[in-house]
Amino acid sequence: MDIFTKLGIDWKLLIAQVINFGILFWILRRYAYQPMFDFLEKRTTRIEQGLKDAEAATVRLGEMEVKEKVVLTEARAEARNIIASAEESAKKRDTEREKETETKVKRLLEEAAIKIREEKDAIMTEAKQEIGELVIISVEKILREKVDVIKDKSLIEGMMK
Amino acid sequence: MLGSFPVTNSFLIGFLVSLGMVLVTWFIFRKKELVPRGLQNVFELIVEELLSFIESVTEDKAQAKKYFPLIATIFLFVLFSNWIGLLPGLGTVGLSHIKDGHSTIIPFLRSTSADLNFTLALSLIAVITVQFTGIVALGIIGYGKKFLVSPFHKPYVIGTIVGILELVSEVGKTISFTFRLFGNVFAGEVLLTVMLHLVPFFLPLPFMFLEIFVGLIQAVVFSMLTLVFLKMATIPAEH
Repeated sequence: MDIFTKLGIDWKLLIAQVINFGILFWILRRYAYQPMFDFLEKRTTRIEQGLKDAEAATVRLGEMEVKEKVVLTEARAEARNIIASAEESAKKRDTEREKETETKVKRLLEEAAIKIREEKDAIMTEAKQEIGELVIISVEKILREKVDVIKDKSLIEGMMK
Repeated sequence: MLGSFPVTNSFLIGFLVSLGMVLVTWFIFRKKELVPRGLQNVFELIVEELLSFIESVTEDKAQAKKYFPLIATIFLFVLFSNWIGLLPGLGTVGLSHIKDGHSTIIPFLRSTSADLNFTLALSLIAVITVQFTGIVALGIIGYGKKFLVSPFHKPYVIGTIVGILELVSEVGKTISFTFRLFGNVFAGEVLLTVMLHLVPFFLPLPFMFLEIFVGLIQAVVFSMLTLVFLKMATIPAEH
C-alpha cells in the first residue's frame, strides 16, 4: 500500500495509538466516569430526599397549625362555657341569698313588731297599775285633806283632762 | 526508534496527554466530597454538561450513559491533544535536520492530531464502535438490512443502490473523520509556524486564539459526529 506510506501511516504507530486510546478510555471509564456518575446520582438522590423531607415538614407544619387552631377554638369554647356556667351559678346564689335576707328581714321586722307590741302592752299595764295606785294615793290624800268645792272642782277638771 | 518501534514526536505527545489525563483523574478522585470544590467542580461541570448534551441527542438517558465514556474520552483527548500543540516550543524545539539540502527542524514533540496515525486510529475506533453498536442494537440481520436492500420491494432498485451507497459511506466516514481532524490541526500548525516566521511578535496572537477555537471545535465535531453516527446506527432502517 504505497499511499499509506506516502501519507506517513505506520501500522505499528497506528496500533500503538489505538492501544493508547483504549487504555485511556478504559481508565477514564473505570476511574472517572463511572464514579462520577455514581457520585452525581448519589447527590441527586440526596438532594431529592432533602427536598422531599422539606416538603413533608411543610405539610406537617400546616397540619399542626390546623390542629392547633382546632384545639384553640375548642379551648376557647370550653372557657366560655365555664365562664357562663360560673356566672349562672353566681346569679342563682345571689338571688337565693337575696331571698334569704328578705325573709330574714321580714322575720326580724315581725319579731320586732311583736316585741314592741308586747312591751307596749306591758308598759300600758304597768302604767295603768301605777296610775291606779297614784289615783288611789291621791284620792286618799285628797280625801284626807279638807277638800273645798273649788279645789274639788279643779281637781276633777284636772283629772278629766 | 525504540527497538523496532518507531517512537515519533506525535506519539510521545499522545502518550503524555493520556498520562496527564490519568494523573488528573487520579488527583480528582483520590478523595471525593459531596460538596465539590476546585478541580472536582470543573470535572463535574464537564461531565454534567456533556451528559445533558448527549442526552439531548440520544433522547434516552440509559443510551446517553452508555455512550458517554467513549464520547467524553474522544472529546477530552482530542481537545487536549489539539491544545497542547499550541504550547510554545512544542513545534519548534527539536533536532536540526538537513534534508534535500534544506535545514529543517524535527521537533521533539508535536501535536498528536497533526499525525495521520493518530487521527486514523481514532476514526477507526469510532467507526468500528459504531458498527458494533448497530449490530448489538439491531441484531446482525437488522443492521445488515440497512445496507443490503432487496431490489424487489417498494423503492426497488433505488433502495438497493442507496444501501450500497450507505455501505460506501461507512468507509467514507472513516476517511472524513481522519482527514478533517488531521487537516485542521496540521493546517493550524503550519499557519502558526508561517506567521511566526513572518512576524515573530504580536501577529501570531490572533491566529493563536483562532487555533484554540479550532482545537475546541474539532474536538466537538469529532465527538458529536461519533455520537450522531452511534445514534443513527441504533435506529432500524425504515422500509
